[in-house]
Amino acid sequence: MLDPRTKLLLAIGYAALTVAATRLTWSLAEGGVLLLFIAVIGKTRSYLRWLRMMLPMSLFFGAVVWWTADVRTAALAALKLLTLTSVFFVFFSTTLPDDLGNSLVKVGMPYVVAFVMSTSLQFVPMIHRKIKNVLDAQRARGIPLEPGWSALRHYPAFLGPILIQAFQMAEELAEAMEARGFGLPGRTFLKDYLMQTRDWLALSGGLLVLIACLLGQHGWG
Amino acid sequence: MTASLCVVETNRLGYAYRKKDGNLALDGVNLRIASGEYLLVCGASGSGKSTLCRTFNGLIPHFYGGRLHGEVRVAGKPTSEQSVVGLFEEVGMVFQNPETQLFNSSVAREIAFGLESLGLPRAEIQDRISATAQILNISELLPRNPQELSGGEQQLVSIAAVLAIGPKLLVLDEPYANLDPVSVRRVRAALKMIHQKGMGVVISEHRLPYTVPDVQRMVVLHQGRIVLDGPPAQLLALDVERFGLELPLPVRAGRRLGLTPLPLDVETLPSLDLASPPPFDLKTVPPDLPPAAAHIVLEAEHVSFELNGAPILCDISFTLRQGESLAVVGANGAGKTVLLKHLNGLYRPTRGQVRVMGKDTRRVKVSHLARHVGVAFQNPDSQFFKLTVWDEILVGPKALGLYDEAWLRELVKLFRLEPLLQRAPYRLSGGEKKRVAFAAALAHRPAILALDEPTSGQDWHFRSALGNLLAELRMQGQAMLLVTHDLSFAEQHAHRWILMAEGQVVADGSPWHVMADKTAMDRANLEPTDSFRIFSADRSHPTLADCIREK
Repeated sequence: MLDPRTKLLLAIGYAALTVAATRLTWSLAEGGVLLLFIAVIGKTRSYLRWLRMMLPMSLFFGAVVWWTADVRTAALAALKLLTLTSVFFVFFSTTLPDDLGNSLVKVGMPYVVAFVMSTSLQFVPMIHRKIKNVLDAQRARGIPLEPGWSALRHYPAFLGPILIQAFQMAEELAEAMEARGFGLPGRTFLKDYLMQTRDWLALSGGLLVLIACLLGQHGWG
Repeated sequence: MTASLCVVETNRLGYAYRKKDGNLALDGVNLRIASGEYLLVCGASGSGKSTLCRTFNGLIPHFYGGRLHGEVRVAGKPTSEQSVVGLFEEVGMVFQNPETQLFNSSVAREIAFGLESLGLPRAEIQDRISATAQILNISELLPRNPQELSGGEQQLVSIAAVLAIGPKLLVLDEPYANLDPVSVRRVRAALKMIHQKGMGVVISEHRLPYTVPDVQRMVVLHQGRIVLDGPPAQLLALDVERFGLELPLPVRAGRRLGLTPLPLDVETLPSLDLASPPPFDLKTVPPDLPPAAAHIVLEAEHVSFELNGAPILCDISFTLRQGESLAVVGANGAGKTVLLKHLNGLYRPTRGQVRVMGKDTRRVKVSHLARHVGVAFQNPDSQFFKLTVWDEILVGPKALGLYDEAWLRELVKLFRLEPLLQRAPYRLSGGEKKRVAFAAALAHRPAILALDEPTSGQDWHFRSALGNLLAELRMQGQAMLLVTHDLSFAEQHAHRWILMAEGQVVADGSPWHVMADKTAMDRANLEPTDSFRIFSADRSHPTLADCIREK
C-alpha cells in the first residue's frame, strides 16, 4: 500500500483541515468521512474500543470550553478533538512503528531518534498491560483505584509501581539492544522504502482536496 | 584445551557491581568453554550465574560498570579491550525476560535486527531469516507481532534473533524461568538441535530436571565461586544439595538404588523390580485432607466469562473449603489467572456466579471482597510503592481498616521478614519480594489466600521454604488457591487439582487422579510429574505401584 511517509503527510493534512474547521457542519462532515474510512478499512471494532477512552475526554474538553464560551463553540471544540485524535488512530493502526521510523531514516532522520520513536510506540501495548496489572494488584489489596476523583488520592499506589517497572524495562531493553549490535555504523535495513507513483498521486490528490476544502470553508477572498 | 578450541576463557575472574563494594558477585572464577560444548551453569539464586554469563559478551563490565579483576577472553582476545557490540558476533545472549528483548513489530524484523546491525545486504538478511526460522520451526510466526505470542514462542524468537547472527556461543540466562512445561519442552528441543548443529550453548538455570539430561558438562556456582565442574552424572552423585540445588527425582531414585551411571531423567531410569529396595520415601505425599464438614468459603457455579466478545472461561464450577488447598493447573493461556480474578471481583462472570463467603461477587465491590480474598499476583513489582517492607505490608490492613498488630508481628515471623522490614521492597531479591507480597496478601487475615504462579523463577530454597509456610497456614485452617503450571509443587501442596485447558475444566480431583486422566492431560498439553511417572502403575510397574499403595 502507501509509503509510511505518504500516510504521515496525509494525516497531517487531514489534521490541519480538522483544526481549520470553523463551522459545525464542516467538522461533522470531516468526522463522517473519517468514520466511513474506518469502516472501509475494517477497523470499526478497535475504533469503538478506542472511542470508549477518547469520547469521555472529548466531552470533558467540550464541557470546559462551554464553561468559558458558548454551546456551539464547545460542541465544535469537542468534535475537533475527537476527529483530530481519530485521524492519528487511523494512521497508527495502519502503519507499523518501525516502518514509520525506518522510512524517516531514509529522508535524513538520525537512526537513534527513529528507533526511540518506533520502540516507544511498540511498547505502548506492553505499558498498557502493566498499568492494568498494577490497577488489579492494588484494587485486590483494597485500594480504591476505580476511575473517579477518589482514585487521585491514591495516585502513588498507581504511579510508583508503573515508574519502577518502566525503569526496569528500559534497562532490560538497553541491554538487549546492546547485545544485538545497536549503534554499529553501516546499518542496513530489511525493507527498502521507495516513493511509488501511487504515493505521489495520493499526495497530489490530498493536497488538492485540502486546498479545495479550505477555500470552501473560508471563501475565495 | 588449546586456545583455538576455547571460545570463552576466564582467569581468576572477580567482579563487584559497585566499585567501592566489598561484596564480590564473582570471586576467582576459572572457566574454559570449548567450541561446540553444551554447558550448564547452575547454582541457587544469587550465586552469580547471571553475572558470569554477562561477562562472556562484555555487558560486564562495559554496560554495568563495577569493579572487575582477572580477565575474560573471547576467541583469545580480552573482553576489556572490546566493546559489547564488537563481541556480539562471537557470543550471542538471550535474556531471562523475552518480553523486553523483543522490540520490533514482527518476528521477521526481530530476527533481522542483529543482521541489520552487521550491515548485511538485504538478500542475505532475508535468507538468514528464512533459514533460522526453519531450524527453530517458527516460519509460521514470521509476520506476527512478537508481543502477541505465547511465552514459549517469544523465547524461541529471542533465540532465533541471536542464532541468525551466527555466534560461536549461544548464552541463555534462565530461559525456562517463566515458561510452562509445554513451552519448556519446545525450547529444550530447539536448544538440543542447535547444539547438534555444532554451536556451543551455555545455559544458566537452577532447575536441574530441565537441564541435566541435555548438557555435556555442568559447573556449580556458590557465592560467586565455582565449587563443582564436570559431567552431570558424576557431579550429581555428590552432595550438591548443600549448594541449594534440588536433585531431579530420577537421580535421587538412582542414588538410592545405587545405580551407575546415574539416570538423569525418567526415560533413562531402568525398570525397577521388587528385588531392588524400592525408594518409597521419594514418592510425593499430598497433604492430609481437611474435614469434609469444613465451612465452604468459595463457590463457583457454572461460571462463563467473555472478554471483548471472545469466550475466556466456559462453565466452571468448584468449591473451596476452609483449610483446603486447591491448585488450578494448566498451561499458560488456559484461563487460570482470569479465573483467579473472578475471586475478588476484578472480573465478573458473564454467566453463572461466584460466591465468596456466601456473597455474590457481582453485587459486592472489589474493595469489600478484598477483605475476604488476599491475592498475590505473579509479579510482586506490580504492587510495591512504599519505601519500606513494613509499610508495604500495612497497605492492605490500613486501606481495609483491619489492622491487627499481633497478627502482623506473627506474619513477619512466619515469613522470616524481620531482617527486611526497613528495606525498600523493590530492591529485594526475587524470592524476598515474593515473600513480602505473600505476607501483604495475608496481612488483613483474609479467609482465602490466592497465589498466582508462586514458584515462577524461584530456586529450590524458596520452593521448600514456601512449602513449609503453606503447610503451617493449612494447619491454621487457611483456605488456599494456588494458580500454577508447576505441577510438582502443586502435587506436594494441594489437596485437589482443577486442570484447565482452553478456558474449561477438563479434570477435577486429587493430583494423581487428574494425572491419571491421560485424555485430560493431553488436552491440557501437560505431562505428569516425575513422581507420578516413576511410581504410578502407568509406567508398567504395577507390582511396585501396588506395593507402594499397600505401604
